[in-house]
Order: sequence, then structure tokens, then C-alpha cells
Amino acid sequence: MMRDHDSKADAKLIRLPRWLTSDHPFPWLFPASAMLIIFGLYPVLYSLWLSMFKRNPATRIETFRPSWNWSKVFADDRVIDAVSITLTYTLIALTIQLVLGLAIALLLDSDRKGFGLLRSLMILPLVVPPAVTGMMFLLMYDGSFGVISHMLYGLGLLSPSTPILAGGTSALWGVIIADVWQWTPFMVLIMLAGLRALPKDPFEAAAIDGATDIQAFFRLTLPMMSKIIALAVLIRGIDLFRIYDYIKVMTDSGPGTATETLTAYAGTIYFKNADFPYASTVALFTLILVVIIANLFIKIFKVRF
Amino acid sequence: MHDSTFKLTLRYLVSILIVGIFVFPIAWWGLTSVKPISAVFDKDRIVVFDFEPTLENYRVTVLGYSKRGSKEDGKTLMGTSGNNSYDGRSSIVSSVIVAVGSTLITTIIALLASFGLSRMQFWGSQGYLNWILSQRFLPPVAIIVPLVFIFHDMGLRDTHTGLIIAHTLINIPIAVLLLKSFMDDIPIDIDQAAMIDGATRFQCFWMVILPMVKGGLAATAVLCFIFSWTEFLLSLFLTNSIRTIPVKITTYVTSTGSEWGYISALGTSAILPSFIFILLVQRHLVRGLTMGAIKD
Repeated sequence: MMRDHDSKADAKLIRLPRWLTSDHPFPWLFPASAMLIIFGLYPVLYSLWLSMFKRNPATRIETFRPSWNWSKVFADDRVIDAVSITLTYTLIALTIQLVLGLAIALLLDSDRKGFGLLRSLMILPLVVPPAVTGMMFLLMYDGSFGVISHMLYGLGLLSPSTPILAGGTSALWGVIIADVWQWTPFMVLIMLAGLRALPKDPFEAAAIDGATDIQAFFRLTLPMMSKIIALAVLIRGIDLFRIYDYIKVMTDSGPGTATETLTAYAGTIYFKNADFPYASTVALFTLILVVIIANLFIKIFKVRF
Repeated sequence: MHDSTFKLTLRYLVSILIVGIFVFPIAWWGLTSVKPISAVFDKDRIVVFDFEPTLENYRVTVLGYSKRGSKEDGKTLMGTSGNNSYDGRSSIVSSVIVAVGSTLITTIIALLASFGLSRMQFWGSQGYLNWILSQRFLPPVAIIVPLVFIFHDMGLRDTHTGLIIAHTLINIPIAVLLLKSFMDDIPIDIDQAAMIDGATRFQCFWMVILPMVKGGLAATAVLCFIFSWTEFLLSLFLTNSIRTIPVKITTYVTSTGSEWGYISALGTSAILPSFIFILLVQRHLVRGLTMGAIKD
């Protein structure tokens, strides 16, 4: 009876090819793949195609000159400056965030009353839109009524004649501080997860052997956390390298080009010069740098997802 | 564990101080939003809390009332765009439409893809995963110029649909990897048991796996919502008249001065929903931020 029923049902159905049934990965992966190909891969290839045109700023005519923009990138002083500013920014911010993140995680890693609330409050900066963060710090840095500026005046670290975002070096630091404020909590969260997952036994054994807390930290905690630290550095490092929001909102690459990162430069070429081929080239150049650095990092530190 | 009272007190104090430093900018921001304009710009009253709290800034930005006093004295208006340029209601609506829309689409697409990646073995699956991961590392700037052209040709420029697609694109990698990590936690035996009982793959997904990843799905959805809610660059390039909150706020800065009261009121309103959401999924937050690489 049963078999009879089944074959009747089968006869009514149109037999789909196997790759269209739910037994095959194709239908499952199709929507995501289509999305990523049309709006992710295709634009990158389109970018590459665009980068092969030379734009004449006066006539606005674009002619096919494959190597024009690429040789321009490597000869452009602003690109070289932007690379060094991007790297400086990334390395300084990353170091501060990592050290602070680890220190704060160690401090807040306690089951005592109140630490849970403190950990929750620590997440707050993460949900603020970066553009809003930029505005917040603009308000606090303001030369005449900014609260941070006033504290610095009081401490004698800053004079009212040079606002924080008006000096070349101090402007970069101003942006870095906003970034550190927003993203140190990210490090804290990841480090806390790492600390919580550490086995207890080695620490008890070390304590019995008379190791100090500092020795235990450098000999046990750090080596056991190395994988998690590498992962956090990779994710954060890539995001830092493509920094755009803070720069755009806070300094708009200024004063002069003192805070012009690679992405900010690409944006400037796009908005101000409307030289789309060259903007694409600089953006692709950024992408290539990210891919090279990230892959080197993954190989060296054996990061796995 | 064996801390003395002194050490413990010190630890509490230092912890509260540091967390306080991190909360301070937001608190300051909230405070600015209820200050009357005169108190914001008065440099003698910066740290003195000597002002009458007012909700005027919220009335103008969130409720869309026109700026008070502007009828009598039109010349005091900053900028040239008139009264209603500080009305943030349309940007709140846009942000909600885009964030909810892209979260829905992202989670549906990512659920399917992550099930395929977690439950099936096929040639090139590791390569496929790497490809998805590499999308996460793509600087939005690298695709923004062609995306503007493509969107223009498809009529998607300056539309909610276009922005939903753009945000879906940047959220898919995170959502797929995260949901895959949640599905990987469910033993494959459960699928096999269901399929021996006659379930098809799809029934297995719909009736067995989906109910089991509900918590992970909620966490993924919240993260997607927040990424879309806070996104700035794509919204800035892809839209002109439709403005999400982060982009709208930056337009309040004009060459003649910044309306800090309005900026902070709209900013505070934008932070509140994300913070409530994120507290709900705090347990899965670390996994979410590392795209499933660190389990909690």
C-alpha cells in the first residue's frame, strides 16, 4: 500500500534535476553567491576596468590607457603620504587598543558583585555610529567650549591658540583617541572571552610553585591567549586600515593633508576632482595592500576562522 | 581570589574610574542634548551644571516641531536651508526601513547559505568560505565608485531598496560565518536521525535546525541591524535625498557653525535602540564580533 501511494505522488511531481533539489548545496548557496557576485565581485572587476582609463580633466573625455593611473599611483606623493599616515594610524591605534583592552579585561575579569554591570557599560561605545562618535569628539575638542580642550588648557598641555584638530600631529592623535574610545571595548570583550576560557589547573600549579602574578601572566596567560590575540589584531587591524568615517567627519583629511588616509584620499578624488578612474585606482591599491598585509599576517600567525 | 580588602577596594575604584572614562563622552553627549543652546556655547559654564534642562532639541529633531523663535527673527537661523532642515523624522524613518529591510534579507540569505556550508560536504567548500571571508575584508571604498554607476544604471541610486542591497552585501559575510558557527554546534546525528525518519533536507532545515539556532539567529540579526544602523560610507555615497541618521547628523554641521543641541539630541536617539538590542544578545556578542571564530 505504502509503496503504491509513493509512486503515485512521484508521478504527479515533475522530476527536478538533482542540483535543484535541497539535497544539493547549489540552491542553498545560490542567493548568497548571486548577491556577492553581482554587488561584490562585479564592482571590483568594474573598478579594475575603470582604472585603465585616463581622464582628461578639461574635456572630461576618458581614453583607454591601461597603465596611466597605475604608474600615477606609484609616483603620487599624496599616495605615499597617505600610506604612511594610514600605517601610522593603524599601528598606533592598534597597539593602544590591544594593551588597554587586555589590561581592562584583566581588571574586569571578576565574578564579584558589580563587575557584570561594569562589563555591560563597557560595551556602550560599540553601538554608537562612528559618524556620531566623530561628532561627539568634535564637540569635546572644540577650542572655545569643548570639555576636553578645557581640561587640557587647565593642565597646561594645550594653548587656546592651537585647537586639537588644527595642528598636524595633534589632529592625528585627536582622531586616534576617538577610535581608541570606540574600539577598545571590542578588544576588552574578546580578551574577556579568552580569559574566561583559560583552564584553571596551570595557574593553580604555578601558584603552588611560588610564581608571582606577573610571571603567571607572561608565562601562562599571554601564550595561551596568543591565538585569540592574533585574531583580534587581524580583525581590528583591517578595520583600522580602511578607516574613513572618523577622518571624514572630524578633520576631512586636514589640516592640509595631515590626516589623509588612503580611503580618505580616494574619497577626495571622487568627490572633489570627480576623477573616477583615478579614485578607483587608489581604492584598488588600498584593497591590494589590505589583502597582502592580511594574508602575510594569517600565514605568520596561523590565524584560523 | 585571595585579595585583601585593600586590594579589592582599589580594584573596584580603578574599574569604576576606567569604565567611567569610557561612559563619559556618551553622558556628556546626553547632557548636551538637554542643555539650552546658550549653555552649550557659554565657555564659562562648560563644567558647571547651571542650566534649565530642556527637551527643545528633541522636539525639533525627533518630533519635527519648527525651531522656536524663528518666526520673529528669521535672520538668526544658521545655514540657508530653513526651519525644517533640522527635522530628523524622515532620516529616522529611512534608517529604520533600511536597517530592518537589510537585516531581514541578510538573515534569510545567510540562513540558507550557512545551512549548506554547515551540513553538506562538497568540492570547494573551504574555498567558498574563504571567498565569503575575504568579502568582509574588502574596503567599501574599493567598490563604491562602480557601485554608484551600477546603482545609477539599475535605478537603485538614492532609493531605500538600493541602500538595503548595499547593507545586505556588507552584512552577508558576517551573518553567514556566524550562523555557520552556530549550526556547527548542533551535532550532525540529529539531521541524520530526522532524515532516516523520512525528512527531506529542507524539512530538516525548517523543522529541526532552525528552531535550534533561534538564539544564534537573534544575535546575528541584532548585529546586522546595528551594522546597518551605524553604517556611514555607503549611505553617504549612494544617496542624496534619503538620509540615514549618521549621514543626516553630519549635515547639521554648517559653515556658519554647528547646532550642537540638535546634533546631540538626534545622536542620543540613535544610540538608544542599538544599546537596548545589544544588551539582549550580550551573551553571543564576542562570537558575533569575531565572525564565529571565538565560541562563548
